[in-house]
Amino acid sequence: MDRRLISVVGALVAVLVFFLLIVWIGGAINDSLKLDETALLRFLFVIIGLLIVFGVYWFTRSSGVWEVGTRQVVYMAIGAALYAVFSYLFNGTVFAVPSVSQVALRPAIAIPMFFGYAFGPAVGFFTGAVGNMFGDALTGFGLSPQWSVGNGLVGMIAGMAQLFPNKKKGINVVLIVSAVLAAIGVLFYALNTGQANMMFFDPDQGIFGDATITWFAGLSVLIGFVLVLIVRFAFGQNIDVASAVTWSMLGNLLGIGFAAISDIWINGFPLAVAIVGEFLPAAGPNLIFAAILVPILVAAYAAVQRQTGR
Amino acid sequence: MLVTWRYRPRRSLIQSFDPRAWLIFFFCFMASSLMFWDLRFLLPLLLIALVTILTSGITWRESRRAWLFIGGFVLFFALLTFLTGRGGVEHYAQEHLITTLRAPFTLLGWRPRVDVTVERTMFACSQLVRVFSVASMTILIPYSLDPTLYGITFRGLGLPDKIAYAMELTMRFIPTYARDFQLTLDAQRARGYELEKLRGGLFAQVRKLAPLIVPVTIHAIAASEDIIDAMDLRAFGVGPRTWLQQLRYRRRDRVLIVLAVMLVVASAALSLVGYSRLWVPAWALAWAGG
Repeated sequence: MDRRLISVVGALVAVLVFFLLIVWIGGAINDSLKLDETALLRFLFVIIGLLIVFGVYWFTRSSGVWEVGTRQVVYMAIGAALYAVFSYLFNGTVFAVPSVSQVALRPAIAIPMFFGYAFGPAVGFFTGAVGNMFGDALTGFGLSPQWSVGNGLVGMIAGMAQLFPNKKKGINVVLIVSAVLAAIGVLFYALNTGQANMMFFDPDQGIFGDATITWFAGLSVLIGFVLVLIVRFAFGQNIDVASAVTWSMLGNLLGIGFAAISDIWINGFPLAVAIVGEFLPAAGPNLIFAAILVPILVAAYAAVQRQTGR
Repeated sequence: MLVTWRYRPRRSLIQSFDPRAWLIFFFCFMASSLMFWDLRFLLPLLLIALVTILTSGITWRESRRAWLFIGGFVLFFALLTFLTGRGGVEHYAQEHLITTLRAPFTLLGWRPRVDVTVERTMFACSQLVRVFSVASMTILIPYSLDPTLYGITFRGLGLPDKIAYAMELTMRFIPTYARDFQLTLDAQRARGYELEKLRGGLFAQVRKLAPLIVPVTIHAIAASEDIIDAMDLRAFGVGPRTWLQQLRYRRRDRVLIVLAVMLVVASAALSLVGYSRLWVPAWALAWAGG
């Protein structure tokens, strides 16, 4: 490990330890010395997320997937800019975004997934994290850095597909892991069907993230999973498409899961609220968009590659 | 072809600082604002934002669309909070009623009503101030940061050369792709495509977005070959990078950075000892009969 990396990881760990000391020791000495639930904890989770990224990098550094050359630098910038522009355009303030059964049309997530899958985990992480940051800045949403890191993880994990030389084997492992995660999500929904969908806003109907979650939104992870499964087997011949959608699915489940679960501490949500109110209505629709748009992007990019011979 | 943000050299407070110093101040300001719900601490931050806006030298004509967008967004969220009390529930346990507004009509036998409470009103005010401060400081940045300095600014903030250059390209590409999206949308509309009237179920609607998203994305990737070639021809990433422009901290920049760090440390300290929570004035409670 080169010295710069050691110093970055060292600094991150030091800040993490400092925060934990304040929480545990400080809290035990003085009751009022608690971390503010909304602001400081966000940064704590950014650090935890970045440490996860460094950990994954450290264990897979010998493979060439993390290499950043001229091409990757330009793709990072393109991906982040496209993600920022699309999330700004489709966040509901520029166009009236239609919604079907509490699922609004937010297709931008396909960008970090596709860039991660096509150009590697480093490009994917940059696309998701920086794109989300600039997208939020364009809208004026302020800052939810833990969601930026979560979106970065989506792109990074989609890019981990390149670690498996045998794509079929990788797909099978990913499908099993995703099936387990989707099943856990559905189980939570089944136990908490009365929970409000906190990701759904419709001012015309007077709904501000307080409507009871619909069965479609609650089961959207399952629906997305089935859709991915259909794409995987319908495009069995085109292993690239199959691999792209399955890895994107895993990235989405883990990345959005990270952000939603961090809200348990940041916003003080109970576990069931974080999963049913936030994770399912965010991650499930993303899976549907991914299953439809990522294959189209992969096929279109393959055509460009054939044409230009790169 | 690249499209740029509306930067031009101006004689203004914000542009009299080194861009690195200003970005450090901006991030400290944003972190401080996010720590507070207490209106007494949010108002000084609002004052900083207002001074910056009024001395920015950006005319209403140049920035009209951005301000209208932000204004609509901020008011929408404050109104949403006020009408529903959503978002505030984590900040107060008990509400003191001032009055209840009842609509003069009924919808299917249901009469819309709004409970106006002290806590809800204070929360909506705090949120208005907080979101406006952060959003207005953010939109000033593209107007006042010189595009030729993006790369060296991020490098100067400690990012590695390649990542600094990727950040520079990202900021330069955003307006370009917004333009490309508009061109693609117009071209597809000329062929009878209607974004406003997407029909069918969710799956059909997502599929119908492909004629917008795929051309913009694939065109961006295909067009990037020219940029990659140009960078390779100049031996990008072979050795440590030199930058055409150099930045030097002057005294005023150092002062600004020190102030920014003090602001964020003081905010963190105040929030740790419990001054960050929603503040409800005692006289308002007394007035509401609490």
